[in-house]
Amino acid sequence: MLHLFNPNAASLRFLAVATQILLFADHGLGTEELQYNRDVRPILAENCFACHGFDKRKREAGLRLDVREGALAELDSGSTAIIPSKPEESELVTRILAVDDAVMPPHESGKKLTDKQKEILKTWVAQGARYDKHWSFVSPIKVSLPRRSRNQDEEVHPIDSFILDRIYSEQLSPSPQADPVTLIRRLNLDLLGLPPTVREVDDFVAASRLNAEKATTDLVNRLLQTPNYGERWGRWWLDQARYADSNGYSVDAPRQIWKYRDWVIDALNRDLPFDQFTIEQLAGDLLPGATERQRVATGFHRNTQINQEGGIDPEQFRIDSVFDRVATTGTVWLGLTIGCAQCHDHKFDPIEQKEYYRFFAFFNNQEEPNLTLYDSQVDASALLAEQKELEALLREQIANKSEDIRVWEESLTAEQTTSLPKDLQKLIASDKPKRNAAQKRSLYAIGPGSQDEGFQKPYLRLHEIERTLGTGVSTMVMKELPVPRKTNLFIQGDFTRPADEVTCGTPSVLPALEANDKGVNRLDLARWIVSPSNPLTARVIVNRVWQHYFGRGLVETENDFGLQGTTPSHPELLDWLAIEFMERGWSLKELHRLIVSSKTYQQSSVERPDLREKDRGNYLLARQRRLRLDAEVVRDVELAACGLLSPKMGGPPVYPPIPQGVMGQGQVKREWKVSEGEDRYRRGLYTFVYRATPPPSLNVFDAPDGYSTCTRRVRSNTPLQALTLMNDAGFFEFAKALEKTIEREGLEVAFRRCVSRQPSSEELAILQGLDTLSAARVLLNLDETVNRE
Amino acid sequence: MNDPTMQEHFLQRQTRRHFFSQCGIGVGSIALSNLVSGFSPAASHEAFSNPLSPKATHFPARAKRVIYLFMAGGPSQLDLFEHKPILNQLNGQPIPQSYLDGKRFAFMDSSHRINLLGTRRTFKQYGQCGAWVSDLLPHTARIVDQLTFLRTCKTDLFNHAPAKLFMNTGTGQFGRPSLGSWLTYGLGSECEDLPGFVVLQSGPRGPRGGSILWGSGMLPTTYQGVPLRNQGEPILNLTTPESISGTDQVRVLEAVRKMNSKRLLETGDEEIATRINAYEMAYRMQTSAPELMDTSGERQSTLDMYGIKQPKEASFARNCLLARRLVERGVRFVQLYHTNWDHHGGPTENLEEHLPSISQEIDQAGAALVMDLKQRGLLEDTIVIWGGEFGRTPMGEVRESTGRNHHIDAFTMWFAGGGFKPGFSLGQTDEFGFGPIDQSVHVRDIHATLLHQLGLSHDRLSVRSQGLDFRLTGVQPANVVHELLT
Repeated sequence: MLHLFNPNAASLRFLAVATQILLFADHGLGTEELQYNRDVRPILAENCFACHGFDKRKREAGLRLDVREGALAELDSGSTAIIPSKPEESELVTRILAVDDAVMPPHESGKKLTDKQKEILKTWVAQGARYDKHWSFVSPIKVSLPRRSRNQDEEVHPIDSFILDRIYSEQLSPSPQADPVTLIRRLNLDLLGLPPTVREVDDFVAASRLNAEKATTDLVNRLLQTPNYGERWGRWWLDQARYADSNGYSVDAPRQIWKYRDWVIDALNRDLPFDQFTIEQLAGDLLPGATERQRVATGFHRNTQINQEGGIDPEQFRIDSVFDRVATTGTVWLGLTIGCAQCHDHKFDPIEQKEYYRFFAFFNNQEEPNLTLYDSQVDASALLAEQKELEALLREQIANKSEDIRVWEESLTAEQTTSLPKDLQKLIASDKPKRNAAQKRSLYAIGPGSQDEGFQKPYLRLHEIERTLGTGVSTMVMKELPVPRKTNLFIQGDFTRPADEVTCGTPSVLPALEANDKGVNRLDLARWIVSPSNPLTARVIVNRVWQHYFGRGLVETENDFGLQGTTPSHPELLDWLAIEFMERGWSLKELHRLIVSSKTYQQSSVERPDLREKDRGNYLLARQRRLRLDAEVVRDVELAACGLLSPKMGGPPVYPPIPQGVMGQGQVKREWKVSEGEDRYRRGLYTFVYRATPPPSLNVFDAPDGYSTCTRRVRSNTPLQALTLMNDAGFFEFAKALEKTIEREGLEVAFRRCVSRQPSSEELAILQGLDTLSAARVLLNLDETVNRE
Repeated sequence: MNDPTMQEHFLQRQTRRHFFSQCGIGVGSIALSNLVSGFSPAASHEAFSNPLSPKATHFPARAKRVIYLFMAGGPSQLDLFEHKPILNQLNGQPIPQSYLDGKRFAFMDSSHRINLLGTRRTFKQYGQCGAWVSDLLPHTARIVDQLTFLRTCKTDLFNHAPAKLFMNTGTGQFGRPSLGSWLTYGLGSECEDLPGFVVLQSGPRGPRGGSILWGSGMLPTTYQGVPLRNQGEPILNLTTPESISGTDQVRVLEAVRKMNSKRLLETGDEEIATRINAYEMAYRMQTSAPELMDTSGERQSTLDMYGIKQPKEASFARNCLLARRLVERGVRFVQLYHTNWDHHGGPTENLEEHLPSISQEIDQAGAALVMDLKQRGLLEDTIVIWGGEFGRTPMGEVRESTGRNHHIDAFTMWFAGGGFKPGFSLGQTDEFGFGPIDQSVHVRDIHATLLHQLGLSHDRLSVRSQGLDFRLTGVQPANVVHELLT
C-alpha cells in the first residue's frame, strides 16, 4: 500500500527525474535537446496550467501556456512569456527565477519549482521552446524492437527487449526467473484468481524440469481455457462497470442485474474481441438484429444508482446517471477525465464544456427498461402469443358461467370450503363483481367446470405457460428513445440552468466521428471508441491489463492519459502493445498470453539491494512484485485451500455468512438470509453487494463499492484485515475445514494448499508446536497466503 | 502461572518483547534493517512507518480532535434556535414570492407548500451571550456561553443522502473522502490501539447514505471510519472465536508473526512488516476496544450528568460518553449519528410529538459532553460540532400533521471548544429565517475552518487522483471563518 499510495506523488515523478539526471549527468544541460512531453510539460502542467491553461475563465493575466502561440503572444502588460531562444528576455524565465513577490508560481499556490525544474524551463526556452502535441492524442507508432540481448542468437521476447533496453541502459540487470512453484501460483492467481492444487504444482514442477518453456506455455494455454479465467477477469471488468446488486442512495433497494455479470464472464471466456465487447455493452441494443445477449450487455451503463428517496426530482437523478455514464465512458475507454468539463471547460485537457455536453447527448436519449430472459429452450414470444389466445378462448367459454359458479359456491359445505387451497377460500369469500377473469377461471376450473374437458385442456395448458414464463429472470438494459431528447449545455453543470442546445459529438482533439445524414447515436460512438484511428482506447486497455500483472501501469495514472497524467515509463512498449493488441484482433486472451510469456513477467519478485537504491519504486521492472490479493480472491484462495470452494458458476448473487449487525447501518435494514448448501461457499464475486452496506470482509480488503467506476484498486494493509482473517466466523469455518485436511493429509499438504511451496523444516516445526486447529488458523493468516509473489 | 490471565499477560509481554528485539518494529527498525543486509536504516524506517502514525501539521494547531454530533435528517432551526415571532403572526399566509424565485425544494410535486408555519415552541434568551434557545433544549440552553452558534450555514443539496454526502465529503459526487478520513490522512492518529476515525450510531435507523458517509473515497481504506457497535462486538470480528482460548489466540498470533517475519527476510517486501504491525495492533484492539466500551468504572454522577439510565443499552447519551472516552484515548475523529430529525409532518415524524422527543434524546447528553470535556481539560483542544445535513423551511408542508420541508439556504449548527469563540453567534437571517441577511457560511467554509483549527490548510491538504489534486473543499473558493475563532 505504501508504495502504491504516495500523497506527495514523488514516485510519480521518479522517471522524469531519473531521465533528467541521466541526461544531465552525462551531457550537462544544453547539449541534449529537451523533449516537451517528457521533460517540460510535466513541470508546466503541475505548476502553471491551472491558471494559464485551457480553461479561459480561470486564465490569469490573459496568459496561456499550454499552447505555443499563447506563450509567445504579447500580453496586455506588454511583456511576453516566452521569446524563443531568448530566455533573458522571456517573462516566464524572469518570473520563475524571481526571489520577490513576483515569483511564479505564486507563494499562495503552495507550489514551488525546484532548481532543476527552473533550469529545465530556462534551457527549453533557450533551445527554442518547442511544443509537441500531447503524446496520447497522437496515434501509437510501432517502433522496431530494441536489440538488447547479450547473446545475439538468443530470441528475445518483444516485451523483454523493451524492458531490458532500459534496465541495461541504467547499468542494472533483470532478476532471475521465479522458481516453478512461485510461477505456477502466480499464473493461477493472475489468470484464474485461484491457487493451483498440490497435484498441479507437482506436475508443473516435473514438466518444468524437462522443458521449462514448454511447461509454461502449456500451463498458460490450459489456464486460459479454464472458465475460472472469465470469473477472475470478469471481476476486473465489473470494477470498471461499477457493478453491484442494489440501487444505492439512501433506500438502496436490491436490484436484479446479475445476468449482465454473467454476460461479462461468458464474453471473456469466449474471448469476444474487445472492440465487439465494447460495442455490445455501449450499444448492443442498436446493433442490427440485436440478439438477446447483446441487449443484456447494455447493462453496463445501467449500473448507475437510482435514488428512491422521498421528495426527489427524478429528472435531477436521471441526469446524474447520465453524468456518471459520460464520466465512466471517458475514464474506462479513453482514460480521460471528461467528467471535469461538466461545469466548466477542462482545466488541463483540451475539452470544452460544450464538447462535454455533445458527448453527454449520446447518453441522453435512452429509456431504462428491464428485459426478461428465459432458458434457451423457452420460446417466450410464442408462449406469450399462445397465452393471449388461450385467455381469450377461456374467457369466451366461461362468459355465461357466472350463475353456475354462484350455484356451486353456495352448495359448498363449510367442510368442503376449508378443504380447498387457501387462495381459493379467499376468492370464495371475495366480492363477486370484483373478480377478474383469472379468478373466475380458477373458480370454474375447480367447481362447475371440473368435468368440462373442453375447458380443462386449454386451462391446464395456460397454467403450464404461466409457470414457464414465471421462470424468466429480469435484467436491466438500455433502450434508445424513438424521438431523441433535446440536450442543452448546463451552466455550472446545473440542470436547472440549461443554455445552448447541442447535438451528439466527440471532442475535437480526437479523430473526428464521421456523421451520416441520419445523425449519430450511441452505436456510432461505440464504433468510434474502438476505431483503430482512436489513439487512446487500445493504449488505455493494454495499460490496465499490464497494471494487473505488475501492480502499476506503464502509465501510472491508469485513468488519466490527459495532460495531468503521468508520462509512460516505457512509451515505445506501450505503443507496441496497443498496436499488437489491435492487430491480434483485440483478443484479450492473446494479450494475456503475450504478457505472461515474457521474462519480465516471470521474474522473481524478491527485493534486491541494488534495485532498492536505484529504482525503489520498481519502475524499470528489473523484478516482479509481491501483490496482496484482491478482496474476492482472498476469500477464493482460503476457500480453495480448505477445500470448501463451490465450483458453481454464475446465477443469482449469494449470501455467505456475515457478522451480526452489519445490515443495520443504512436507512433501511436489509435482510441477509445466509445461503444454504454450496452457495455458502461460492467465489467472492458472487456475493451480493449492497452499495450502502457492502459485505465487510470484501470491503475491508478494498473491494470497490460500485458507486463509481474503479480502474485500480487500492491495496491497504490494516488491523481490520487481521481481525477479519483471525476471527470472522466465515473464515473461522474455513480454518476448521483446513484442520480436517491437516488431520487427514498432514501439515505439509495443508501448507502447500495455502502457499503452494514446501514448508521449511523450521516452518514445519513452528506449526507442529501447535494443535491442528491453531495450525490451520496460522496458515490462513499468513501474509504469503493472501499475496501473490 | 496457572491463572490463565497471568499466563496470557506473560505471553503478551513475550510477544511484544519479540517484536521489539527480533523485528525492531514498532519502536524503529534498526534491528530489522541490520538483519536484512543491504537495506539502509533510513529507507526501512520510512517504509515501516504506520500510515496512521502522527504527522506534522501545516501550522500550529488549536485543536487535536473532533467529535461531530450529526443530527441526521435535518433538525428544524426554527423550532430550536431561530426565534422568528413573525412566523406565528403570519402563520398560514404565503411567504412573499420574491423569496422563492429560482429556488427548488424537495417534494415539489407533492407536499411542498409556500405558507408560513409558526412554531409551538417558546423561546428565551440564555447566558451572558443572550443566545435564543427554545424550550425543547433546556440543557443546551444552560451552556450557551460555551457554544459558538453559526446561524447561516449554507449547503447545496436538498435530498438526504446527497446532502449528507455533501456535508461529509464536500461534494455530492461519489468516491471522495469524508472529513474524518481527511483528518486521519492528514494528521494520523494518536491512538495506537483503536482506529483513528470512529463512527457511533443511535436512533431508530441508520443514516440515509450508509457507509459511504464515513468512506475514504480515493484514500486507502486505512482512513475510513470504523463503526463501533453498541450491541454484540463493538468492532466487527473483534472477538476471538468462542471455542478459542486466549492462550491459543496468542499462540496463533505468535506463530503468524514468526512465519511472516521469516518471509519478510526472504522476500524483503516491507508490506510484510506492515502486516506484522497490523496484527500487533489488531491484538491490542481486542483488549482496548472492550475496555473502552466497559463504562462500569464511570462514576454514577457522570452517568447521571449524561442522563444514562441503562449503561449497557445503546443510546445517544451512551454514545456521547463513549465519544469522550474515545478522545481521551487519542482517537482523532468521532462521529455520532442520531436519527431521525426529518420532521415533515408525517405520521412518525412531526413537529408536535417527535421533535420534542428527539430533542430530549440529545439535549442533556450533548450538553453534558461539552461540560465533561471542559472539566477534564479536553475541550481546550477538542472541537464538538452539532448539526444536520440541512435545516428546515419557514413554510409548512401539507401532510398528516405539522412539519417543515428541507431547507438549504440558512440553518443552524453549533461548535464548542478547540478555539471556537465561546458564547458567540455568527450570521443573521431575515425575518422569516429563510436566508442570510449578512454573512452566509457555506459547508466549504465550515470545512476550511475545521481543518484550520486542526493545523491544516484546506488548500494544501490534497490527494492526487486521476491527475488532479483533490481537496475536501473542492475547486470553489473556500474561506476560513476567522470570526468564529478566538
